[in-house]
Amino acid sequence: MKLGRLCPALLLMAAAIMGQEAAPSVRVTGAVKQALALTADDLGKMPRASVKTDSDGIAIVYEGVWLHDVLKRAGVPMGTDLRGKALASYVLAEAEDGYQVLFSLGELDPEFIDNQILLADTANGRPLFGSQGRFRLVAPKEKRGARSVRMLTRLDVVMLRK
Amino acid sequence: MIRRVASFALVAVMALSAADWEWNLPPGFPRPVVPPENQMSVAKAELGRYLFYDVRLSVNGQQSCASCHRQELAFTDGLARAKGTTGELHPRSSMSLVNVAYVPSLTWANPAMDKLEEQALVPMFGTDPVELGLKGQEERVLDSLRKAEVYQRLFSAAFPGDPRPIRMDTIANAIAAFQRTIISARSPYDRYRYGGDESALSEAAQRGEKLFFSGEKAGCSQCHGGWNFSGSVRYAGGQKVESEFHNTGLYDTYRAPNTGIQEHTGKAADSGKFRAPTLRNIAVTAPYMHDGSIATLSEVIEHYARGGRSSANPLKSSILHPLSLSPRDKMDLIEFLQSLTEEELLKDPRWSNPWR
Repeated sequence: MKLGRLCPALLLMAAAIMGQEAAPSVRVTGAVKQALALTADDLGKMPRASVKTDSDGIAIVYEGVWLHDVLKRAGVPMGTDLRGKALASYVLAEAEDGYQVLFSLGELDPEFIDNQILLADTANGRPLFGSQGRFRLVAPKEKRGARSVRMLTRLDVVMLRK
Repeated sequence: MIRRVASFALVAVMALSAADWEWNLPPGFPRPVVPPENQMSVAKAELGRYLFYDVRLSVNGQQSCASCHRQELAFTDGLARAKGTTGELHPRSSMSLVNVAYVPSLTWANPAMDKLEEQALVPMFGTDPVELGLKGQEERVLDSLRKAEVYQRLFSAAFPGDPRPIRMDTIANAIAAFQRTIISARSPYDRYRYGGDESALSEAAQRGEKLFFSGEKAGCSQCHGGWNFSGSVRYAGGQKVESEFHNTGLYDTYRAPNTGIQEHTGKAADSGKFRAPTLRNIAVTAPYMHDGSIATLSEVIEHYARGGRSSANPLKSSILHPLSLSPRDKMDLIEFLQSLTEEELLKDPRWSNPWR
């Protein structure tokens, strides 16, 4: 009798857990002080930034968080801390489909260069979706779009000199 | 002084007639580039439509521009190679005119041909191959048009202030203006991507979109990128970009007359390079490739999944390589490509035959 009551309750709980899909996130991993898995909610609480792009005549305003702010949050040296051996470090940005590009830490730090690379989660006010992924990088100052990684899932920090 | 006033009046009339044109594009969609010497007007586009469908513009009185550019087939002809008035086959397949106003180079393999006003004359007067076959027939054609009451009215409205408007240059201008109006921007995919309607695409098509834009998985967008799925586009206020041409590994050797842009550049490395056409409405424009040598979309995807059916062409684009696509991936890609078909465009009366 007890079992008969318990089983439906367990089944309901299991169904509830299975029904709750984990919110999509971007993981920040590797040589970081604090590994992160940032959801859109998390990014929403960080300092927001936006960039405007022109995609063959269609204007798109992307919003999100500067990539250097994301890295700072993971404890990656930036600004005056980015010196010495840390300058031989890079970030491997990886997409859902396995696409990978890399950036050196120096080219992500606004104290080195004003590169304006955004980890975006909305376009023209709407959450990113479909082939853009839930998150993407947007590098409006780069002449080619190949490093503006769509469907971004991970930022892996690699320190070559320990 | 009189001449100055007259020319001022002419400019004013031209400005007035141009001012009535509205592109009526979805919000945020770029306008095409229009040459200053051939401004748009409702009357000119309407005249162009009549001419586009007029069989008087052929030596046999049976064909028109629309014979090889049929609206219901997104302005292609359903044939592997287009057939002219004398029965001669064109070496290449008839290209879609959809969004032709935006493409930097108009044809399959001539980087320099970028003016619709010039290109419109090629099928009319070209002899290699003969298409509409009008070489030497200019006066006869102009006479027949000048005698037609409908054209006296349409040309006067389209070229106000022009005392003798029925000429070959005005014919070409009107046809070009009409072609610029054939714009597709309202497919199910547009509604999904730009219109906020996520239900406009099936789940399979949504998976197909991700494959299409994935450089790792399928990589289609590397040549068919951008909102026109044709690579870079020209638009009002934008940079004057050039088309890219690709050798897609169809043949081990590309033979004349289909050597691609090599025919124009003279460079051996350009052999087999053809333009990546727009994929808008691609589901209704079979057969495919510059020579219509692939019958179905499914076979096109097989071609690219193999990294090109020719394995021996050293000039094959480095973008091509064998892909790891499952049968479901291939079906998803087709479903996505089908979402680029704008059914309304295929029957919209603005682009239909006015003579029926």
